[in-house]
Amino acid sequence: MFTFPSIFRPLWKAGHRVPFSLALLVGLLLSACSSMEEPLSIVYGLTLAPSGIDPHINASAELGIPLSSVYDTLIYQNPDSGEFVPGLAEKWTISEDAKTYTFYLRQDVIFHDDTAFNAAAVKANIDYVINPDHLSQKARFMLGPLERIEVIDTFTVVFHLREPFAPLLDSLAQVYLGMASPSALEEWGPGDYQFHQVGTGPYRFVEYVVNDHITLEKNPDYAWGPEFFNNKEAQIAKVIFRFYEDSATRSVALESGEVDIIGELPPQDAQRLAALEDFDLYPIPIPGQPLQYFFNVEVEPTNDLQVRQALLQAVDRQFIVETVFGAFSPVAEGPLTNDHFEDIVLDPYTSYDPEIAGELLDEIGWVIDEDQGYRLRDGEILALHLIVPSWGSNPEVGQLISAAWENIGAQVTLEVAPGFGKLREAQGEGNYQAIGLNFFGTDADLLRSFYSTDGLFNWSGVQDSRVEQLLTQASQATLDPDRRVKLYQELTSLIHQEALLLPIRDYVNLVAARSSILGLRYSSQGWFPYLIDLQFAP
Amino acid sequence: MVPLPYRPSIRAVKLMDNRGAKAISKKMLDGIFTVFAAVSVVFFSLRLAAGDPLEILLSQGLATRAQIEELRVALGLDRPLFSQYLDFLRSLLRGDLGKSLYTGRPVISLIKEQYPQTIELAFSALLFAIGLGLVLGVAGAILKQSHIGKIAEFIANVGISLPVSFTGILALFLWLQALHWATLEALLLSLKDLLLPALILGFASAGALAKVVQSGLAGSLREPYMLAARARGIRPRWRFIWHALRPSLPPVLSIAALEAAFLFSGTVITETVFARPGLGRMLVNAILQGDYAIVQGIVVLAAALYVFTQALSEILSIILDPRLARQQ
Repeated sequence: MFTFPSIFRPLWKAGHRVPFSLALLVGLLLSACSSMEEPLSIVYGLTLAPSGIDPHINASAELGIPLSSVYDTLIYQNPDSGEFVPGLAEKWTISEDAKTYTFYLRQDVIFHDDTAFNAAAVKANIDYVINPDHLSQKARFMLGPLERIEVIDTFTVVFHLREPFAPLLDSLAQVYLGMASPSALEEWGPGDYQFHQVGTGPYRFVEYVVNDHITLEKNPDYAWGPEFFNNKEAQIAKVIFRFYEDSATRSVALESGEVDIIGELPPQDAQRLAALEDFDLYPIPIPGQPLQYFFNVEVEPTNDLQVRQALLQAVDRQFIVETVFGAFSPVAEGPLTNDHFEDIVLDPYTSYDPEIAGELLDEIGWVIDEDQGYRLRDGEILALHLIVPSWGSNPEVGQLISAAWENIGAQVTLEVAPGFGKLREAQGEGNYQAIGLNFFGTDADLLRSFYSTDGLFNWSGVQDSRVEQLLTQASQATLDPDRRVKLYQELTSLIHQEALLLPIRDYVNLVAARSSILGLRYSSQGWFPYLIDLQFAP
Repeated sequence: MVPLPYRPSIRAVKLMDNRGAKAISKKMLDGIFTVFAAVSVVFFSLRLAAGDPLEILLSQGLATRAQIEELRVALGLDRPLFSQYLDFLRSLLRGDLGKSLYTGRPVISLIKEQYPQTIELAFSALLFAIGLGLVLGVAGAILKQSHIGKIAEFIANVGISLPVSFTGILALFLWLQALHWATLEALLLSLKDLLLPALILGFASAGALAKVVQSGLAGSLREPYMLAARARGIRPRWRFIWHALRPSLPPVLSIAALEAAFLFSGTVITETVFARPGLGRMLVNAILQGDYAIVQGIVVLAAALYVFTQALSEILSIILDPRLARQQ
């Protein structure tokens, strides 16, 4: 029988209060130990609590961080080679006219709820996404001109398009078009399904408590991962995701042991953590557009090419990147990020030279007026209105750009638009010479809504038939990747020549993790980790 | 126990009885009108100021203009503002706050999910604020000349002037340091979830409360009735509590009521800094995204809270100081 160790006896006899507090203390210590000795689970810090996490309906990148491991996609994009490789579809064929995609599905896949995966399941998923009542914010539009889905037999499914759409494969490789259990979709429906998600991936969805956490558990039956996964099955039994919206608190969460991996660290914190032995820093480039500002070619004075060129040369982009983003971000060289689109973005952008900028302006009659301290032409001041979004360090960058333009004699007003709604509204009024906005994406077709004449984000006001032609050809006339690259190269040089854009830096997500965690790697989109490859150092 | 000079609570209740029913029903009508006005202002100002929710909803660069317009019609957002407003009031009367634009879930259940966390934090913070506020205020008033009084006043000033965004982060860094030194990791880790945010939040509210307590006390301590009470031989402690402190509490109550309503309708910064769920974060996200229904839902709740806590503080004030009822 268990007897109390003699040294504790006096305490035990001293009355009920002491043992109680002692028990409390021991309990706390034990719970401290137990939380440390639970190596089979990790906590991943997310940086934004999304307003909804149904990948078919909601649009945030944050939801993909956990859910990319809950769902498989018909095809995968190998993050190292950029190639599309088989996922839930063993192979696929594309018709001559590029309007019919046939997918031949794997026959050994089951969802986490034991529903079988087949062609009918694919159709149920796509129908769910394109149902207008479901108000899909992203997935629906990723399908482009999809007309209908046809089930040929149990494991063959055909996507019929109204017109060719080159980005389709890229779309189908993303979590937003991941395959969910049709029975779960039907049982819960939009709104509630996000709390009861069922996929086929290496992790199953356990729980989502809004604004608090998301919990995933290893799927022991998983055996159909793409070949580029390093592990055949998940090594970590449980992954919990928590939300840290205030960037200053993220490194605290990591250092205190609350989380094991966390992204979007401020550069100063990242630098500090990188120097510590207990943590590893992973700067992950995010493909898409760089932090950038469009010149408005529809208003004075930026309708003049030479003014735009001068404004470009007046800005020391290297300095801005170092000042605001520290050592981790590459300086942007074009309308798309270097790392992912290295074939497209070839020639470096204009270099910094305020003197040449001044001369360019002098040439066309914008000369310094000594009394006012600004450049004037025909009695009018060189006035610039710059609108920047309030997020993503845009206000700081906007300050530095304003200073650079003031430096060559322009009168600059800076407007910070809080939230996308306000930005859109300010843009709608048309009263700006330059405006900032950028999106992420892995297909260069992203540029279409920014440079096509009726594009939703054609905030430069570009109306160029050659640009239009290039964009259409690249997304519709050809599926040949090399040909597409050529077309986008030409588009990029056009944007350079016309000086439509002031690109600042390519986005880098600064992720830090405890050194005891190995195998952290991300999908082509940059945000989404392959949780299956994570493991603890031996 | 020393017998009390009179039984204030019973007298106050009698006073209330005399005019009671009428006064209370008037208060309720006022309250309903206040909630209605707040919600109406929010309804229109959101639509005029927040930007087009559909543009925000589809801000991924993938939707076309035609698709956005299609969706606008489907959601009824193309109809005249006033008929949208009437619809909104009609469903509000049925207790229906509508659905979130982003998730399609009913706003009521969204609020229900987040509210327990908000109540927990608000309640703890309020308790701490009132406790600390009273202590600091009393110390500031009666020990005005000594160092203790000055320190109390200084702490109250710090509470008022430092924003939670600063004290919160500061507390978090101190907490991290403590974590490096201390062995009781589990104990410290558990502090961060509730105690630390409650203290930080309560500290800010305590400053304002302390100021009101202090100035009220300083005033009533100089009143002639304090001398009279002393002449009647009432003990110093009771003199202080019943004659000096009690009449200085009504203004404290109305400040506390404001703080309570503020805390219970969600605290954005504290929730964000300490990574807690709650109404505050939900509200800010909804405003930024133009998710009207959620904003309106939370405003209905907040307005009702303000009305309720104000009414409560007025009733309590009359119980504490019956002279207030006579003045009305």
